[in-house]
Amino acid sequence: MDWTYWFALSALVICNIACIFHFFRLVGLGPPTDYSYRRGSVQKAVKYAFTRAMNPAKKESAFLHLPTYTAGILYHLGTFMGFFLFILALLRINPGKNTSLVLAAFLLISAISGAAILLKRILKKELIALSNPDDFISNILVTLFQLITALMLLDPSFLSAYFVITGILLLYMPVGKLKHTVYFFSARYHLGFFYGWRGVWPPK
Amino acid sequence: METLSKDKIQQGLSVLNGEMDGKLLTNLNSCVHCGLCADSCIYYRTEKNARYIPATKVDLVASIYRKYHTFTGKVWPGLVGARKLDENTINDMVDLLYGACTMCGRCTTHCSVGVDISYVVRKGREMLSNMGYVPKTLQSTVDAAIHTGNNMSITTNEFVDTLKWLEEDLQFEVNDKNANIPLDEPGKDMLYTLNPREPKFFPLSISAMAKIFYAANESWTLSTNMYDVTNYAYYSGNLKEAAIIAQRLHDEMENLQAQTCVLAECGHGSRAFRWEGPNYIHKNYPFDTITSVELLARYLKEGKIKVDPAKIDAKVTLHDPCNLVRSGGIWKEQRYILQQCVNDFTEMTPHGIDNLCCGGGGGQLAMSEYNERRMNIARLKADQITNTGAKIVATPCHNCVDQLTQINVTYKMGVQIKTLAEIVADALILDEK
Ligand code: SF4
Ligand code: SF4
Repeated sequence: MDWTYWFALSALVICNIACIFHFFRLVGLGPPTDYSYRRGSVQKAVKYAFTRAMNPAKKESAFLHLPTYTAGILYHLGTFMGFFLFILALLRINPGKNTSLVLAAFLLISAISGAAILLKRILKKELIALSNPDDFISNILVTLFQLITALMLLDPSFLSAYFVITGILLLYMPVGKLKHTVYFFSARYHLGFFYGWRGVWPPK
Repeated sequence: METLSKDKIQQGLSVLNGEMDGKLLTNLNSCVHCGLCADSCIYYRTEKNARYIPATKVDLVASIYRKYHTFTGKVWPGLVGARKLDENTINDMVDLLYGACTMCGRCTTHCSVGVDISYVVRKGREMLSNMGYVPKTLQSTVDAAIHTGNNMSITTNEFVDTLKWLEEDLQFEVNDKNANIPLDEPGKDMLYTLNPREPKFFPLSISAMAKIFYAANESWTLSTNMYDVTNYAYYSGNLKEAAIIAQRLHDEMENLQAQTCVLAECGHGSRAFRWEGPNYIHKNYPFDTITSVELLARYLKEGKIKVDPAKIDAKVTLHDPCNLVRSGGIWKEQRYILQQCVNDFTEMTPHGIDNLCCGGGGGQLAMSEYNERRMNIARLKADQITNTGAKIVATPCHNCVDQLTQINVTYKMGVQIKTLAEIVADALILDEK
């Protein structure tokens, strides 16, 4: 095992420690305190926040922007798959030739989705105004990660480059907006709490 | 702008002490800058300006957080767009958080992640308030409430005179000399609150509710000491002043030993007292609260009052106040009321928890410096109403009534704006007593 393997493994450990720190900091702060008289079910609303409230038909951010929404979903699926494959790569497990081909094809599609999102950010003046370098770096790193994962699946000689790029992504993750991996769940929880407490969600 | 001392900056930054609050920490770290919330906001929809994207408003506050509370923001602010809290930032915050957001919360429900955008805007206003940057117009409304007990500085004499006149009117209308508008009567079941716009500009809405209480044979009273349901400090972001106002109504409930506080038709007022008030004063209320919308629906359901929908034959539509509906969970009741009281009820598109803000929320009606912007964004509401073909617009909120009245004039719509109590009173059938 060369240094790139150890680099990627160390990056994974560092990234996990940082994410766990963020997670436990949030958990440590506990659920919100609310002195008002509760009128609904927080539990049901939190469940709703993670399920039906995510339904694209319910969110303008999805149904008014279907191409972006679809690209975003594919991009995220590609990332999750990429991380799963990274664990397999660390464990030296080969998914097999045919499976690798299918996975690489999907990763290629998800990477193209990521690139399209990046292009949109560059071309739309409203998005440029909203963006900072971190938005571009995060997008580029994740897209590269998906591409190199696809290449590594097709040709093992890319393994070293794959470990390096994945390691860089993992080290960068807790620094910028990619840490929304942790905060996304907390945001949905708090939304569910807020609307559940007041009996807004789930809709009657 | 006044000089920005280190002390003042610290007062502003104290709001962002993320260690204290998981919700704040979450919302300052969740936005991914996808920009997909843009079209959910009435400001951005009206004027396609990136400044008006809800995420831009969130980012103003979050970028300050990053600058002072994150490692990357401290060592490499340019990378993550971390911003110093300086005059420029404050100028942007005042213009966008006070002047370009009604805190309607519509963007929150549509955000791809679930960032509570209006909550972050409130936190930003809290920072500005701590530093003394509340727009003077808004602050003077809060000051009036703090110093005179109501946001319109109505004197007790003026208030009592209005109510006496309304009482005589009520006796004449119901043909009963014993009909009354009880004042400061202890031990009643309900203490009814008002939006001070009612005694000042719309006394007929008080008459309407008094007539309904009369028909329902309710045990109720008004207080001359504290009747103001509004709490503009909720909008200014001054938690201390918000607590003073909430505490006063709380104390008046205890003083008059009423069991239930009836929150007048005022979206932000009912929210500020029912949902935010206990948190402002850090304790549970020992009494119940009910919005007048819920009360009217209850009267109709229980048969305590009877109505004849044939009395209102014009087409009626409903405007849902954001604070009552999207942030208060009350949307079935007003529909039930209208279905009972009018023959031809039609919904706006969109409606319910997805309804568009009228543009008067967030304290906008009190901030005359943003009038032009407020009336520009109101075109969306004007179009929504026009598309229904309705002749009457009902809404359970006096702030919305005010904004809708101005929209009616500006966009020459020729509709009537009414509160729900007015609709119910119009349709009411009075039994002989
Ligand atoms: S939709 Fe949500 S995550 Fe996306 S930019 Fe708007 S506030 Fe941020
Ligand atoms: S709360 Fe309403 S006005 Fe404010 S940014 Fe969101 S949608 Fe726009």
